[in-house]
Amino acid sequence: MIDFSRVQKELQECTRDTEASGIKVSPKSDNLARLIGTIPGPIGTPYEGGTFQIDISLPGMKNEDVGMVINLCGVIGGFLFADGYPFEPPKMQFATKVWHPNISSQSGAICLDILKDQWSPALTLKTALLSVQALLSAPQPDDPQDAVVAQQYIRDYQTFIGTARYWTETFAKTSSLGVEEKVQKLVEMGFAEARVRSALEAVGGDENLALEKLCSV
Amino acid sequence: MEDLTLHDGIASEEISEPFQCCVCLDLLYKPVVLSCGHISCFWCVHKSMDLLRESHCPLCRHPYSHFPVICQMLHFLLLKLYPVAYNRRENQILEEEIETGIYSPQFNAQASNHSGDPASLSTVDFESTTSSDPSSIRKGEPCADMELSNCDSQCQEKKYLQVSVADVLCLACNQLLFRPIVLNCGHVYCESCIIVPAGEMLKCQVCQTLHPRGFPKVCLALDHLLEERFLKEYMLRRDALQLKQVDLKHERPTIYSIESGKQGDNLPRSSDRRSKNVHVGVGCDSCGILPIVGDRYRCKDCVEKIGFDLCGDCYNTQSKLPGRFNQQHTPDHKFDIVKLSKTHILHNMLRLVAVRLEDNSTAILVDADASEDSGSESPSPALPSDSQENAESSSAPTVASADGGEDQTGFHSTT
Repeated sequence: MIDFSRVQKELQECTRDTEASGIKVSPKSDNLARLIGTIPGPIGTPYEGGTFQIDISLPGMKNEDVGMVINLCGVIGGFLFADGYPFEPPKMQFATKVWHPNISSQSGAICLDILKDQWSPALTLKTALLSVQALLSAPQPDDPQDAVVAQQYIRDYQTFIGTARYWTETFAKTSSLGVEEKVQKLVEMGFAEARVRSALEAVGGDENLALEKLCSV
Repeated sequence: MEDLTLHDGIASEEISEPFQCCVCLDLLYKPVVLSCGHISCFWCVHKSMDLLRESHCPLCRHPYSHFPVICQMLHFLLLKLYPVAYNRRENQILEEEIETGIYSPQFNAQASNHSGDPASLSTVDFESTTSSDPSSIRKGEPCADMELSNCDSQCQEKKYLQVSVADVLCLACNQLLFRPIVLNCGHVYCESCIIVPAGEMLKCQVCQTLHPRGFPKVCLALDHLLEERFLKEYMLRRDALQLKQVDLKHERPTIYSIESGKQGDNLPRSSDRRSKNVHVGVGCDSCGILPIVGDRYRCKDCVEKIGFDLCGDCYNTQSKLPGRFNQQHTPDHKFDIVKLSKTHILHNMLRLVAVRLEDNSTAILVDADASEDSGSESPSPALPSDSQENAESSSAPTVASADGGEDQTGFHSTT
């Protein structure tokens, strides 16, 4: 079960110092179990200037069957199960495409110990996102998530920097455009304005995702 | 030394950060102090503990294996400092406890005057004999509510009480605490008042319980409060102790040399998953060790849902401490030794299944991700053990349906 009162406190706290940290967390819908985090690319890295969106999903009891199994044996030995956030790490995944040895270029999966076995309930969404941001500044090619990127990082560092910067320019800078500019850009490509607007809305304002959506239909 | 609590309303009660629990991010409720000196709520510590191996402090990752007893001195101190917020927390937690049917220890308000006395740790009867029946829990409610309203009226008066030195005395020297240390039993001493004879384990002078695993660290949150609130007295204590400091320096090395006590050492380390006789998820209601390793004794007469268990050491020393979850355990209750029999291993495996099942949704997601960029994912060291567990859990239901007709040696090899 997710401790929603804690999540709420975290959101308040995070909003309070968004100015200083540049890190934002906002719920995806009215359900606080799914959120979206935003981190600015660290200065002095190929990610500088980009804004990266991270899908966050908080673990909790979703499946009723699981609940039943736990009811059957959860307290047999005398101790309750403690499930869900913050006793389990939040699941985080890049929604923005990013070229980094520890982040899957395909799925956005992040290889970071504090999101796995090194999680501690004293960590928060904000501190976890800060760690992800720190990961952008300090790639660990020896413990890769994306082997292709890691190989490139090790063998051809200059190309890696180039690709990472190109990906940042292409995928992580769209949010600097206003909605109207994005609409205009896509309309100029030959899509109907109404479709463009609904597509943009459906993907949360990301023009690349919107373009993908428009092309896929 | 202006009392914040003089103002009315929750909004005016600003909780200073040291007394905000790092887990629930709310005011500490029924505070538990770990041996690294960090404080968390009773339930927050309990829920963050590792069911399989030694646990780590959420803040500093300092390893510990014993669930400490609530620090009553801090409990009553926080109640005095933040009466409105503390009562709000009390109501909130009580609601959760009624829902789960498992209660945290209850304290008498009167006991606040002699918080050091273990006898003051009273157990309130929530009609426990029928606690599994939801309707009777309802019956338990009015009594709890009454208690709360009592508390409320007392707090109205307490609002105008300031925290005095009498609330924060060392149990040994009976003076203002200086560099306070909270033992596993919840009793508080000055760092300098704890004397451990060479080669022996640290023992509480009040309740005589042994403190596991070496010398605890100073509870800095409490120390800062003392310095802030009682600056004059605090300085006096510091000056007086500085004279003794030379002696202390001589004593420290011997104290630190007994890092590992007899109980701390037999917990499975994170790498050691196959240790025998680990009672997964079962803690000792006396010393608080979790999980119990080796002999485990289960009370036959305690009717609470959570049960009452003792580790071998505590069973043999006839501990008189009450249960950790408000159980109505009395010394005339009888015990059964719990062997890790087939059924228990099965239960433990079911637990793992339950835990794994919950992870499965994500596991599948992760798998899908992995197959997308196949080959790009490096085998992380955690994977082999995970897949082993998955294999275990998937085999468990089949074993269950076979009703244990097969020999159990296979079980031992997999757990």
